[in-house]
Amino acid sequence: MAGPFPEWIRRTWGSGSDFGVTKGILDDLQLHTVCQSARCPNMNECWRRHTATVMVLGNVCTRKCAFCSVRSARAGEKTDPPDPDEPRRVGEAASRLGWRHAVITSVTRDDLPDGGAGHFARTVEAVQAVSPDCTVEVLTPDFGGDLAGVETVLKAEPDVFGHNIETVERLYPVLRDTAAGYGRSLSVLRAAAGGRAVVKSALMLGHGETNEEVRATLADLLQAGCSAVCIGQYLRPGKTERAVAEYVKPEQFEAYERAAREMGFQYAAAGPFVRSSYRAEELVRKIKGRD
Amino acid sequence: MRYEVTLPELGDDSVDRATVTMWLADEGDIVSENDDLVEMVTDKASFSVPSPKAGTLVEKLVDEDDEVAVGDVLCIIEI
Repeated sequence: MAGPFPEWIRRTWGSGSDFGVTKGILDDLQLHTVCQSARCPNMNECWRRHTATVMVLGNVCTRKCAFCSVRSARAGEKTDPPDPDEPRRVGEAASRLGWRHAVITSVTRDDLPDGGAGHFARTVEAVQAVSPDCTVEVLTPDFGGDLAGVETVLKAEPDVFGHNIETVERLYPVLRDTAAGYGRSLSVLRAAAGGRAVVKSALMLGHGETNEEVRATLADLLQAGCSAVCIGQYLRPGKTERAVAEYVKPEQFEAYERAAREMGFQYAAAGPFVRSSYRAEELVRKIKGRD
Repeated sequence: MRYEVTLPELGDDSVDRATVTMWLADEGDIVSENDDLVEMVTDKASFSVPSPKAGTLVEKLVDEDDEVAVGDVLCIIEI
């Protein structure tokens, strides 16, 4: 066991049939979720609210970042081609689970010519077709830096375009796959900015970043056109991933949230268990003034 | 009626067990629905297990430091 954890690294592990309803539907539709693959500590809470973040394009990633528990393709391993029926099944999940806001993410697929952008777009459209009142958020990979991929996804008109910067620039070499890049991720966000989609990013703390580095990253995100940011605590998914260097205190997260708002983010959420997709619906309601 | 409180599914298929850190209620305590009963720890975080029912905690079936599997009975509540 990795404990003892600080007192604020604590969640509820509740019971009830709603959890099983979510699991049953997602299993039935053979959909992957980042909740499961990333071993998210919010999963019990979210699934009991019938919320989940689906992960399309398979559950094997072509990259290996040191913080992530999603399985990486082994050397020479061929990943499955995109399942042409998957967008329809995501739409069906949105409908059967009664989603008012769908969050769709994916593994990184450097092996596909378009990085999976077309599949993302078809998935957004499938949800919109089945649930016209459901807002749609995408959390995309960097498409290998090919900004045409961003354009493809935006053409499907998601309400929120998310791409996570994940960490501060200095820690990219130790935390991220060599194919990722701080500047590359900023260019993805920049390409998405200026349209109708809210542009959102997230970073995790607890890898030893300084206050100044966090603020500099927020400034870079803002300059790239990001209007929404989420900041959370990194929690080690398993023994093969990088150890936590620091548990950032709740009051420090509050200070970052305030700082982000003061800098000009329209929406900012920071806290130990904040994740880019955690309670994502609140952001959409807030920014779009729904409800 | 004796109601068995079990360790619910966490969701994460790789987490099918957890270790009891400490009890937050004692035998004889009257508990409301959603009152925290016991704290568990996994590799990733601490978790409190709320009571699924209101009643009286009559018997604890696991001790602190015990490793518990999903579905194991943690305690009995008289409802």
